[in-house]
Amino acid sequence: MEKMKQSRCALKSADLVAWLAALALCCGTAFSQQSLETDFRTTGDAVLAAFGTQRQVIQKSSAVIYNGRKEIAYGMVVSPDGYILTKASQVEGTSDIGVRVDTELFKDAKLVMTDARWDIALLKVEATALVPATYAPDSKLGQGTWVVVNGATSRTKRRILAGIISAQAREIPAAGGPALGVTLAESDEKLEIEAVSEGSGAEGAGLKKGDVIVKVNGKVVKVLKDLVKLLEDMKAGDVVKVSLNREGKVIEADVKLSAKGELFANESRNDEMSGDFSKRRSGFPRVIQHDILAASSTMGGPVIDLQGRVVGMNIARANRAETFAIPVEELKKLAEGMVAQARK
Amino acid sequence: MRRVFSTTILSIVASLLPVSAFPLNSKKAPESLDDLMAIQEALQAALPRAKAATVNIDLGEGSGSGVIVSKDGLVMTAAHVSGGVGKDVKVVMPDGTELKAETLGLMAETDAALIRITEKPEGGGDFPFVEVNKTDDSKLGDWIFSLGHSGGFDKDRGVVVRLGRLVRMANTTIQSDGTLIGGDSGGPLFDMDGRLIGIHSRVGPQLPVNMHVPVRVFLDGWDGMLKSEFVGEGPFAEKPEKGSGFLGIATKDVEGGLEVTKVGKGSPAEKSGFREGDLLQTFNGQKLSTRDGMKVLLAEMAEGDKVTLEIKRDGKDETITLRLEKR
Repeated sequence: MEKMKQSRCALKSADLVAWLAALALCCGTAFSQQSLETDFRTTGDAVLAAFGTQRQVIQKSSAVIYNGRKEIAYGMVVSPDGYILTKASQVEGTSDIGVRVDTELFKDAKLVMTDARWDIALLKVEATALVPATYAPDSKLGQGTWVVVNGATSRTKRRILAGIISAQAREIPAAGGPALGVTLAESDEKLEIEAVSEGSGAEGAGLKKGDVIVKVNGKVVKVLKDLVKLLEDMKAGDVVKVSLNREGKVIEADVKLSAKGELFANESRNDEMSGDFSKRRSGFPRVIQHDILAASSTMGGPVIDLQGRVVGMNIARANRAETFAIPVEELKKLAEGMVAQARK
Repeated sequence: MRRVFSTTILSIVASLLPVSAFPLNSKKAPESLDDLMAIQEALQAALPRAKAATVNIDLGEGSGSGVIVSKDGLVMTAAHVSGGVGKDVKVVMPDGTELKAETLGLMAETDAALIRITEKPEGGGDFPFVEVNKTDDSKLGDWIFSLGHSGGFDKDRGVVVRLGRLVRMANTTIQSDGTLIGGDSGGPLFDMDGRLIGIHSRVGPQLPVNMHVPVRVFLDGWDGMLKSEFVGEGPFAEKPEKGSGFLGIATKDVEGGLEVTKVGKGSPAEKSGFREGDLLQTFNGQKLSTRDGMKVLLAEMAEGDKVTLEIKRDGKDETITLRLEKR
């Protein structure tokens, strides 16, 4: 008898506790008698074997990014001499970046630059003969078009996963406005930090409970309204200069603004169902969407079509059913622009 | 004459052959680029019609999906989406048009339900609808696609499609590896010919575990659901308790009926236009003469039930129909 934890898929507030444990209705023995062997499922080896030529592209032109020995992201080869693109928020703050392309491991990869708007980072490794994938002319693939990505990896082999374009290309607005990531107490025209949100830009910049915010970008802030007004014209990813009073001393800090929705979001029921999702999954100018099962640590790699051409780069695991990728039009410009700037 | 005869025989033979023409279902796995293209082409050929009929069901406090299966606006969905019989809900078409609808019957044990759109489509005419595969010929390993308004309606994103295979089959549940999430519930599962074979119901904790109610469950309970019957006891819908219905008026016995002495603020009575001084005559056709008599009648009703009351107002006869709310 198979036990199964289940969850209904309607969004109902009343359903918050609807993880149904071991529903006898559909977990009967009849199930196990009529079950498709793993190999023949959509993620199974027999099915994925049909994507042999696409797998070769992923093997040669995608990258695996490590922090020490831990896999933290995937990436994409953009030049023969070792420029690699990946998802910035997955690699920021790591000290020991390694990159594997094909069977070769490059230690001491350098984080050259990042683009906050798209959440991508350019890495550089010491290489001479990497094989960048070819870009597709555009990302205008109809819904239902096959796409292939790096799904898992060993030291020598990339294992692909395949899926389809599942929705219309579009902008993903930042979830909520920009925020420093602090809870403030306002008294006597003084803004004192009561708490610093985990994973926020404020935490990253070292802001602490008890600090008093004096200025933001050179402008004096005394009440919450001042701060709200200042942030009005900014967006998540922008960096602001914050002057703080800490025990009588003035301290300066550069704080990267976070998206309010991603900072304070109580995990929704869909997040709970998804298990794993990207920390940064909103605020992208344009994305294409596919249905490949992914994890936050498998973002950053190329998305290729049946012809083996790059149509995008995985940028956010939004939830268990939706993954976002930067479309090739924007991706190509970003890659070429960043590499050109790095070579200067 | 003879030719006509043989043509008839031919057409009979043809109709006995399996209807599904999707060749990849007879292969254990795709073997070549051509096979992959065949899957893609079948999916893309079926998508436009399937998408046009996939609706969002707005319940106010949340949302699910559904699919239109007749030109006059009958919608199949999950029982845990419709949530009850005779409720007013909104159906949102893929272009964002919102239409009034009413929940019909449901099957609480298997998670099947019907909804009827009560407004005409924008610009008149018929609703876009999909064909229901009544032959029940889907088998393990068949390629399928799922549609739904994942996480709620999003016009820029549109209806979300996922591809997969049927990985488990049981009597009242089929399982696919096309990934579902909240908001997809009640949405349609299609075979590669674009025929409806199931309705999304629930997911397991592992990503590839996604459950659907097979069409045959709907067909078994079809007539009862059309008659707005609440079939079975849980777990997917809870039958409202008798006596849980709330009307929201205070009355006193007077000559010639029951006089309304007070109308509760925000009550169903107020929303439907009741006023102080109205004289109640009948309750669902039954004559009213005492407060106790009405209490007995109300005790038999539940939240969501429809009540028709005949009244006299300023000497004139009027009829008010309303739905009881939760007490």
